Amino acid sequence: MPLLPFYLPDSGKFVVTSSILFSKKAENVKKNPKVSLLFSNPEGSKAGKHAVLVQGIAHADDSDLDHGWEKYLSYWRKKEPYIDAYLAEREKFGWFWKRIVVQVEPKKILAWKNGDTSQAPEEFGA
Amino acid sequence: MPSLDYQRLGNFRYAVITLIGDDGFPFSVSTDFKILPDKKIVLQKPAWPSKLDGKRVNVLFNHITGLPGGGYGERRYMLVWGTTHEDRGTLRFEPESLSEWDEKILAFDQYCAKCAPQGAKYLGTLQASVEA
Repeated sequence: MPLLPFYLPDSGKFVVTSSILFSKKAENVKKNPKVSLLFSNPEGSKAGKHAVLVQGIAHADDSDLDHGWEKYLSYWRKKEPYIDAYLAEREKFGWFWKRIVVQVEPKKILAWKNGDTSQAPEEFGA
Repeated sequence: MPSLDYQRLGNFRYAVITLIGDDGFPFSVSTDFKILPDKKIVLQKPAWPSKLDGKRVNVLFNHITGLPGGGYGERRYMLVWGTTHEDRGTLRFEPESLSEWDEKILAFDQYCAKCAPQGAKYLGTLQASVEA
């Protein structure tokens, strides 16, 4: 699924927040925490033409659906400045703002230079 | 499955193949694709993983357009589950099920309303776990 991930340099983890409306992935994480994040679209990844796959262990935290995700709002705002317009209508989009925090601890990173998937990827331990 | 709109599918520029690897982790790789006149989907075979014949995979067709002030527009995706078959150096993809969203077809607030049953299901499961 297309997602908006945030990288936390202090912990080396990635974070995705997901509305309960689109929570199938969080349900899946609870059943099987092995996940991957692919950064392949230059429009979104900002990684140039390169493609990077991060495989890791995910943890879904739904202990505070209303506020647990707010600590990542500054990351979100940098990527989607218009998110404040939706926040201003928080009541209208009530369930959109009930959000699960999914943290991903990288275990292995695979990279295709220039996005050339006709070659095997380079592998890096996380 | 909901009908696959091959005309809209043809507007995507690339595809992402995902399958479960031998280590249990999902493995995703982007590749090119084309749609033949007889509506067959043909994926360019990536170098890795080496064996994709008869594999159950999902294929994501995704598009975003960066906006000058930041963020994205023209968001759309088709996520198609199916099976890949190796065929003379390419992958023939047989679609079986589909989920999709195109904000030009279904506005975001309507998409949220459509997904309310999933939200209710999640809250119901969460409530049950709290009460247990």
